[in-house]
Amino acid sequence: MNRIEKYVEEVLIQMQSTECEREEIREELLSHLHEAKSDYISEGLSEKQAEKKVIAAFGESNRIGQELQESMYPFQRGLLYLIGICTIVFGVLFYLHLSFVIHEPSPVWLVVQLLSGTIVTLAAINISIVGRYFYLLNALLLINIIWNGINIVSMQGLSQWQAILFSAYLLILVGMGFVFVFRNSYYSTSRIDGKHQKQGLVKFSYIMNLLYGVIVIILSLFFLWSFLFFGGIGIDAFITLIPILIWLIFYKFQMNFIAKKPALSLATGLLVSVAALVLAFIILRFSNGG
Amino acid sequence: MSLTIKNISFIAVIILLFLILWGTGYLAGGPEGYTGFGESADISPDDEEITFVYAHKGESAIYTAPVSGGNAELVTKADEGNYLLNPTFSPDGEKIAYVEQWETEEEHPLGKLMLLNRANGEVKELTDEEGLVTEAAFSPDGQSLYFLKAGVYTNYSPIASEQPHDFDIHRIDLNTEEIEQITDEAAYDMSDLDSTPDGEALMYRSYDGGDQLVFYNLEDGYETTVTPIGDFATGVPMIYSPVLSSDGNYIAFSDVARTSENGTYIYEGYRMDLESKQAEQITSFGEHVTKPVFFNHQDKLIVTVDKAFATSEPDYSYWVINADGEGRERIQIEIP
Repeated sequence: MNRIEKYVEEVLIQMQSTECEREEIREELLSHLHEAKSDYISEGLSEKQAEKKVIAAFGESNRIGQELQESMYPFQRGLLYLIGICTIVFGVLFYLHLSFVIHEPSPVWLVVQLLSGTIVTLAAINISIVGRYFYLLNALLLINIIWNGINIVSMQGLSQWQAILFSAYLLILVGMGFVFVFRNSYYSTSRIDGKHQKQGLVKFSYIMNLLYGVIVIILSLFFLWSFLFFGGIGIDAFITLIPILIWLIFYKFQMNFIAKKPALSLATGLLVSVAALVLAFIILRFSNGG
Repeated sequence: MSLTIKNISFIAVIILLFLILWGTGYLAGGPEGYTGFGESADISPDDEEITFVYAHKGESAIYTAPVSGGNAELVTKADEGNYLLNPTFSPDGEKIAYVEQWETEEEHPLGKLMLLNRANGEVKELTDEEGLVTEAAFSPDGQSLYFLKAGVYTNYSPIASEQPHDFDIHRIDLNTEEIEQITDEAAYDMSDLDSTPDGEALMYRSYDGGDQLVFYNLEDGYETTVTPIGDFATGVPMIYSPVLSSDGNYIAFSDVARTSENGTYIYEGYRMDLESKQAEQITSFGEHVTKPVFFNHQDKLIVTVDKAFATSEPDYSYWVINADGEGRERIQIEIP
C-alpha cells in the first residue's frame, strides 16, 4: 500500500458507509489524489515528494474523514457519542444517589448501565466497522432505549422531586435514542434504494413503524411494572418483554421492506406489533392457569 | 491515536470508573435499617405509661415512657435481625405481650407470641417458631391471651403482593399455657383483635367485599358485623386499626377523611358510638393518623401520626388527643 492508499484508508475509517458506498468513495478519492500527484510529478517533483505534497494539500486524514461523515450522515456520530456518554453519566449520578441517599447501592445495576453506555460509545468510536450494519446499530440503540425505559419505570418509587428529575433526564436520553434510530433507518433506505419520489412516504413509514415500536415498548414495560409492583420479581414478569423482542427481530426485515414497499409495510408492522402483544398476553394467561 | 488504542483506553477508563463507584458505594455502607418509633402504642391500665416499639438502625426494642412525655425505659430487645410489634399491657399492668417476627430464607415472615414479666424482666415464648402470629389481646381477667395467627403467606392473585392469609383466632391459657383454636374460618384478612370489657365477645376487623367490624360471641360462636356510618371520603368506610373503649361503648378507628393533592388518602381518627353506629371525625392532623388507643379513665386517646406516609420509610410520633376532637399534644419521648 503506498502513501496515498494508506491516507485514503485513514479517511474511510472515520465513516459509517456501507462496503459498496465505501468502494465508490475510495475510487473517487484515489483518482483525485493520483491526478494531483501526476500534476506535481510533471512539475518536476519526485514520486515521494509529490505524494507528500498531495496529502499535505488535501488536509489531515482524520479531519477529512470526519467532515465527509458529517456531510453524508450529519450529527449521527455525535449523537451516538452523546447518547453513550449520557447513559454512562446517568449511571454515575444515579449510583451515587443510590449509595448516599437511598443507601442501597446495586453494583449489578451499575454494570448493566455502564455496559449499555459503553456499547453505544464504542459504536461511535468504531463507526467505520459498526456503522455499515444499520440494523445492528438500530438494535444496539433500541436495547439502550429499552433499558433506559426500564430505568424510567423504576424511578417512580423515588420521592416526587427525585423521580421528576431523573425521569426527565432519562426521557431526553430515550428521545435522543429514537431520533438516532429514525435517522439511521432513513439513511439505510437511501443507500438501498435511490428513488427519490418515494422518500416522503418512506420517512412516514419509518416514523409509524417506530411509533408501533414505542407503543409495544411502553405497553410491555407497563405490564412489567404491574408485575413487579404486585407480584415481585419472577420468571413470569419477563414474559411481558416478549413483544419487544419480537418487534425488534422483525424490525430487521421491516427495514428492508419499508424501503421497498413503504405503504404495505405500515400494515405488516402494525400486524406484527399487535400479534406480538396478543401472543404475550396468551402466554401470560396460560402460565397463570387462565 | 490508533483505533485499537482508543478502544482499549476507553474500556479501561470505564472499568476504572466502575471500580471507583463500586468502592464508593461499598464505603457508603448498605441499608442502615429503620430508626424510629413503631406504629402501635398501648396505654397502661392506670393511664400513666405508654409502651411502644422503637428501632435503632433496624434493632427493634420495646420501651415504656410516661404518657406526659419524658425519658423512655428499655424493657426488652428483639433477637438480632428480628423485629417487634404490637406491645399490649396486661389488665394489671404487670405484663406486656408482644409479637416477635423475623423472615425465613424465602423472605416470608414468621412470628411468635411473647410475654414479658415487668417485675423480673423475664420473657416467655408462648407459641412455637413455625407459625405467623400477628397480634394479641388480653382477656379482661388477664388469665388468657387471644391471638391472631395466619395459616399462609402468599398472593392469591398474580397481581397481588404476598400477604398473610387464612387467619384464625386462638387462645392461650396463661396458667397452663394450653393453646386452643377459637375460630375455624381461615379468613382472608383479620386484624385488630380486641376483647369486650365483659369478656364475652371479641372484636376484630375483617374484609368481605369491604372492611367491616365483627363481634364474635365466645359463648355460642355467633358473629355480628358492624359497619360504621359516617362522612368518609371514599364513600364506604375503609376501617383501619379499630379499638374498643374501656367501657365498650365506643370504637375508635382511622379512615379516609380526604384525598391529598397528589392522590394519597389522608386518614384521620374517627370515633363511633356503638349504639347509633354513627362515626365522628375526631382528628384533623392532615397527616396519616393510625392506631388509636382509648385512655382507661379519661375521655382521651392516643393516636399515632405518620408524617411520611406512602414513602419508603415511615416517620411515626405519638399524640394525646381529646375524644371530642378539641386539643392535641405530642408525647415527647427521649430514647436513652
